[in-house]
Amino acid sequence: MGGVEHEDPPLKRVKVSYEESDSFSSNASIRELARCLSNNSMARPLESQGDDKVVGVKGVVKKVELVRIIAEALYSLGYEKTGAHLEEESGIPLHSAVVNLFVKQIIDGEWNESLATLHNIGLMDENIVKLASFVILEHKFFELLDGEKIMDALKTLRTEIAPLCVHINRLHELSSLIVSPSQTALDGTSAQRLRIRSRKKLLEELKTLLPSTVMIQEKRLVLLVEQALDLQRDACRFHNSLVDEMSLLTDHQCGRDYIPSQTLQILQEHSNEVWFLQFSHNGEYLASSSSDCLVIIWEGKLDGRISLKHRLSGHQKPVSYISWSPDDHQLLTCGVEEAVRCWDTASGECLNVYEKSGLGLTSCAWAPDGRRIFCGVTDKSVCMWDLEGKDVKCWKGQKTIRISDLGISSDGKQLITVCKENIISLFEWESNSEKFIEEDHTIISFALSNDSKFLLVSLSNQELHLWNIDGTVMLVAKYKGHKHSRLVVRSCFGGLEQAFIASGSEDSQVYIWHRVSGELILTLPGHSAAVNCVSWNPANPHMLASASDDRTIRLWGLDQVNMTQNGEHSNGVCYCKGAT
Amino acid sequence: MGRLFVITLEGNLYSCKYCKTHFALSDDIISKSFHCKYGSAYLFNKVVNVTVGDKEDRVMMTGIHTVVDVFCVGCGSLVGWKYEAAREESQKYKEGKVILERFKVLGPDGSEYIPESFMAGPGSDSDDV
Repeated sequence: MGGVEHEDPPLKRVKVSYEESDSFSSNASIRELARCLSNNSMARPLESQGDDKVVGVKGVVKKVELVRIIAEALYSLGYEKTGAHLEEESGIPLHSAVVNLFVKQIIDGEWNESLATLHNIGLMDENIVKLASFVILEHKFFELLDGEKIMDALKTLRTEIAPLCVHINRLHELSSLIVSPSQTALDGTSAQRLRIRSRKKLLEELKTLLPSTVMIQEKRLVLLVEQALDLQRDACRFHNSLVDEMSLLTDHQCGRDYIPSQTLQILQEHSNEVWFLQFSHNGEYLASSSSDCLVIIWEGKLDGRISLKHRLSGHQKPVSYISWSPDDHQLLTCGVEEAVRCWDTASGECLNVYEKSGLGLTSCAWAPDGRRIFCGVTDKSVCMWDLEGKDVKCWKGQKTIRISDLGISSDGKQLITVCKENIISLFEWESNSEKFIEEDHTIISFALSNDSKFLLVSLSNQELHLWNIDGTVMLVAKYKGHKHSRLVVRSCFGGLEQAFIASGSEDSQVYIWHRVSGELILTLPGHSAAVNCVSWNPANPHMLASASDDRTIRLWGLDQVNMTQNGEHSNGVCYCKGAT
Repeated sequence: MGRLFVITLEGNLYSCKYCKTHFALSDDIISKSFHCKYGSAYLFNKVVNVTVGDKEDRVMMTGIHTVVDVFCVGCGSLVGWKYEAAREESQKYKEGKVILERFKVLGPDGSEYIPESFMAGPGSDSDDV
């Protein structure tokens, strides 16, 4: 009895024997282990910090794998000596000796030896062995053909490739090549260079065939880092920064400050309610129209200010829609149930007036090739004109309603109109086929995304619906919060890669949503009456313009004050001015 | 007030007396036997170009109903009411339908309606058939 003196927990005794038998462990790791064990008698030896099997806080990164892909990265960057040194110092070889031999034999063109080594690698899957053998022998076959050793090539084909019974079709192709070799003979040195280069390609192909534990994939580490960057960018809710050099040194996160939220300029040249506005494709011009029947072209100067360039008068009715030509040199304006006028951007002159006697035009759009225009007519038809004013084609029947917008897909093939109160027609006018979007409420207006794959539809129940119109027509998202019950209030896509949706509202604010999540990000007060239309500058994701019944146009941009405090790093996460 | 969103109807239609905004087709009339302060009123299945006011409970000839007032989008004049909910089972058919006062609209031939007298009686509603 009396053996209670050493009440040492059994673990400590185990540790002691561990120290004696294990000649590799350094003092440091033993001390750490002891500390852990004394702190927590429930310590599991495997996952404690002293263990060498995993790296990192989460314990999911295996050390052996990490060192191997670092070595591979060093080799593919060209740092052969450092790579070799790492293998030596860590004691973890990049590839096993067998694999290294295999690689050498492939590069040297020792085909039979390489096949033998292939079997030695110890692959579990017979199929992989066969496929790899096929690839090697196919290469051998080509080299023999190149070297004019036809009989040897034939022998290879018959006795070595055929028995593998894989890729039968390829086998037939190869045999036909014997009969009619298409290459001409090359001279010695260039042929050799060609051979070595293509042997490297063979090696790359083999790397994809063999399991990744046997041969590490090319540039695996870089691939993993790229995945991490992609994830960071996807997770960034307000990602709208042009300064897109994502750094490896800090996590990427945009604050709200990269979305336009401050009024930078108020344009007051219109004498009545401003109904419509749109930026040109190159973002240098802004065109706006008002119920005073005038259209104004504004120009963006180098200092970021916008100033008046031309006043376009001539319409007798307010202009409800403006369409820029694809090259921005011309502008189409449509008076409400009146005529469509074509203007020259540089001079401000009216180039052409399109009308239909006895009828009014309700909407207009440019064909993407810039040579024809489409117009909606009050008799519900849609007409296509060429630039001289010649009526090229007319589609009759219930094609469009009086208050409808007109859209053209970027390939020029689809005409998009509201054909009934709650139905949008996607009309392929060449093939005469039609797709429909049917809604439960009345459709007020719509906007097309830049890639013509999405349609943003504004409904009378005060919701915006985003539809995918590429292929099968499908509802993708809904956006709510803004108000409209009586007026035509327009919305648009915008921001970097059109990741945001903006809309006007009858409560005088501009609303901005995050497109993918549907979340309302910002509401911008400032106007004193309903905001009728918004347009996001396609060339500058930080500029937004809004048109209002208060007769002004506001230009919204980034919050300048907060931007200057940018650039502080802390514990690896850089907030581009922390968002509240 | 911005560009009004106005739907254009075709056929025999009823429109606003003051601003001619289209309201409904005569095909959508469910019943003509309703009354209001200004005389005759029609029950319509579907009415466009109107906005609604706040909900309230009103005592009508056929019982208590939850209604909203209905206004023309063009000029804002009060043109009738819409039944949101009816208390009694027999009145449920009115739910979601709109009453347009004949005095406030122009008929299909553009005709106006001149009330014979202003009813000082129990007030609005009817059609308890």
